[in-house]
Amino acid sequence: MKHNDIQIAICGSAGDGTIAAGDILKRAMARAGYKVIAFDLYPAEIRGFGKCVARVRITTEQAYSLKRHSDVLVSLDDSHAIPHVGEVRDYGAVIYDDNPIARLPEGGHMTAHVRPSQVPYGLSQRQISELATGAGRSRNIVILGYLAGLYGFPVAQFRQVIEAKFRTKAAAVTEGNLRAFDAGFEAGAATFKLDDVVLAPPAHGEEGAKTIMMTGNGAVVRGCLDAGIETFFGYPITPATTIMERLAREMPKRGGRLLQTEDEISAISATLGAGYAGARAATATSGPGLALMVEMLGLGVMAEVPAVVFVSQRGGPSTGMPTKTEQSDLNLAVFGGAGDAQRIVLAPTNVEGCYRCAGKAFELAEAHQTPVIVLMDLYLSNRYETVVPPAANPFAPKGAKTLDKVTAGETYRRYAATADHVSPRTLPGQEGGMHAITGLEHDEFGRPSDQAKVHMAMSAKRHDKLKAAVEHPDLTVCKRFGDEGPVDVGILGWGSNFGEILEAMYATQDEGIRCAAMKVVMLSPLPLERIAAFLADCKEVLVPELNYEGQFANLITGALGRPVTRLTRVTGAPMEVEEILQVVRSLAGARTAA
Amino acid sequence: MNEISGPVYLEEKLKEIRGDGHLDYRSQALPTWCPGCGYFSVSEGVTKALIGLGIPQHNVVVVSGIGCASRFPFFLKTYGFHTLHGRTLPVATGVKQANDALTVLAVGGDGDAFAIGAGHIPHAARRNVDITYLMLDNGIYGLTKGQTSPTSSLGFVTSTTPYENRDLPLNPLMMLLSYRASWVGQGYAGKPHDLERLIAEAIAHRGFSYLHVLSPCVTFDKTDKTYANLDLEVRDLPDDHDPADLMAAMAVAAKPETPALGVFYREDRPTLGDAMREIIARAGGEASAAAAE
Repeated sequence: MKHNDIQIAICGSAGDGTIAAGDILKRAMARAGYKVIAFDLYPAEIRGFGKCVARVRITTEQAYSLKRHSDVLVSLDDSHAIPHVGEVRDYGAVIYDDNPIARLPEGGHMTAHVRPSQVPYGLSQRQISELATGAGRSRNIVILGYLAGLYGFPVAQFRQVIEAKFRTKAAAVTEGNLRAFDAGFEAGAATFKLDDVVLAPPAHGEEGAKTIMMTGNGAVVRGCLDAGIETFFGYPITPATTIMERLAREMPKRGGRLLQTEDEISAISATLGAGYAGARAATATSGPGLALMVEMLGLGVMAEVPAVVFVSQRGGPSTGMPTKTEQSDLNLAVFGGAGDAQRIVLAPTNVEGCYRCAGKAFELAEAHQTPVIVLMDLYLSNRYETVVPPAANPFAPKGAKTLDKVTAGETYRRYAATADHVSPRTLPGQEGGMHAITGLEHDEFGRPSDQAKVHMAMSAKRHDKLKAAVEHPDLTVCKRFGDEGPVDVGILGWGSNFGEILEAMYATQDEGIRCAAMKVVMLSPLPLERIAAFLADCKEVLVPELNYEGQFANLITGALGRPVTRLTRVTGAPMEVEEILQVVRSLAGARTAA
Repeated sequence: MNEISGPVYLEEKLKEIRGDGHLDYRSQALPTWCPGCGYFSVSEGVTKALIGLGIPQHNVVVVSGIGCASRFPFFLKTYGFHTLHGRTLPVATGVKQANDALTVLAVGGDGDAFAIGAGHIPHAARRNVDITYLMLDNGIYGLTKGQTSPTSSLGFVTSTTPYENRDLPLNPLMMLLSYRASWVGQGYAGKPHDLERLIAEAIAHRGFSYLHVLSPCVTFDKTDKTYANLDLEVRDLPDDHDPADLMAAMAVAAKPETPALGVFYREDRPTLGDAMREIIARAGGEASAAAAE
């Protein structure tokens, strides 16, 4: 039987090359035209013997998340891989070193743990590596060759990716690794095939050449560059740091300026300063950094200054779990700060969404003269997906609603009342447009005022000007999937978690349950009418999310008064499709029984 | 004030003020400072310095934090950004990063600078951001009606230190010198003409200039840093002071009980904008039009 869907987990100790092997695997398979989703698990510490797991799901058609069960487990270190034997499905394969370097304690070897329902493949990883390269370090490449030989993966793409990966090293390193790959391939091809895994050719053959592997953070960087980002200010924090690192390399090539500031407060302050001066400006952080930034975000709302803030959430509160994923900063992103400070919050649900939201965030910030938060999480920041790059740059150049000329003799009114509640800006350097902006409540001229009628009118202006954002013509604000019309169960989701929701929804449909799902990308302002219309179609509503309180469920029930079923998890890992599926089944079952 | 020799008539004064383009730099908002406040001298000095340097109003951005001193931008007819408590320098850095052609003035008081905002000062200084920081030091929190500040004297009685201030006051000049601010000077609101010259020199300096302005709070400080006391304490820098000599500047700054007025230290070194242009050149990129100086 041909499979359209294979998930491989490679497990080892930090230093074994586990993540590197996963990286080569996903890039080679993407190059061959397959759809790939990959997410690595690694310890917070740089050194030591922490556990690393690289999971790569390879499919012929688009997939939306990783699977609960892997088809293949490769062990580079049995002490770490043994606890993962349970994640291999029945008739799946477990590949381990059958010639370990040292005498292992009782029960320390994989052979004692592979289940009768699984297929064990013993491979002398170290020995093959030593024979091919003279050292045991290329075990991770040997197992890649073995996988390719065993499952008939395309060899040419693996060789290309290995060559690219070691391009900066001495030629001997590349050659050694290619020999290790070939030796592994020989062993794999010669092995008697016992498991039932055979991968079908990719559905879209040639298209593979056009797709690229990208992480959520990588997509944000691409989005920023395509939107013409001019200034960036940031402070390192996991899992957002790689955004700044890549922009530091790429922005100067396009004349852009990046500065690592002394803290998150100065990062957002400088971003607002640059936004006031007319530049496309952004910063990136995680929950703890956003907590420091919210006071300045309030100033951005009050003074109506455009700014873009990328937030990649991690486990919280406080320092929490820096290398684990969570969706628990929704409240902070949507509500954080003093006073009535509504801002725009976008939460992309996949890697391509990260690209679009990143670029559109600059347009929205300018058009509505307000800070825009793009809310991601570690799972989305770090996971790889295959994406097709856009044929043309989809983002508009800057320049939304600025005042070209100020009438002579007239004092410029920065906050003049207009039909769409957005007042034309002048930028520093522009003649006649002088004005001062402030975090104090102010009148049309920007002069401080605490009069009741001024505060009432300006509060309304700041809220009303955002209403148009939910009608954005060119950005997925929310979207419905699955069955049309009335359904038994509707799943409402946001952010990185939506891939699992989609997988669960399609699985539910396969079981004959009428089911639909809606993703909400714009969390503030909420597209309430469309969410209400969706909920009206659902007999039961399930809201799965990766936080303890059900922050999104609170947001929805608070706004619409409709009770929903919550599914919340704080394991630090993505939600399992099975978990969602079970709740959907029981909700549908309860409905049918009633 | 002792420089006024004869009676001044309002009409004549207005004619004079209108004639020299003064009002072009003044907003229609009347300052909210108390009569006699030292900040009037600074605001006057900034206006005259900008006219003297020929910098048009629309190329000036005044960034401030929170406090009496930070109300500054409202009273000038330039671009202005009244920001948050302590965040004057990072916002000003952002404005300058976006557009090097702008003249950026950062204005704040002693609480804004050396209490809540103290963490930002070394970084603006070491990066040599090409902005001018006017730090108006009255040694007290005026806008919240008279609490102790990081530059309040020992023994100073305020509403939050009814049993006398016990915290040693900071020495901002020594701090800024050790941060390698590329221009460090001190002026006094009671000597407005000297102050104006210092402000002009600070603005003209290419790089981060720090001007410490001693400026009495006539409402909440009746005993310590008053005009009467400061008139007696201030003195000129030694005649032979060399502004290129960092250690000599340190030695003078180490005597805050007799504050010296003038340019303590001055050096030419690449600005943040220079660094950015170099990075862009090294990466093979082209500077955008707005970022070209």
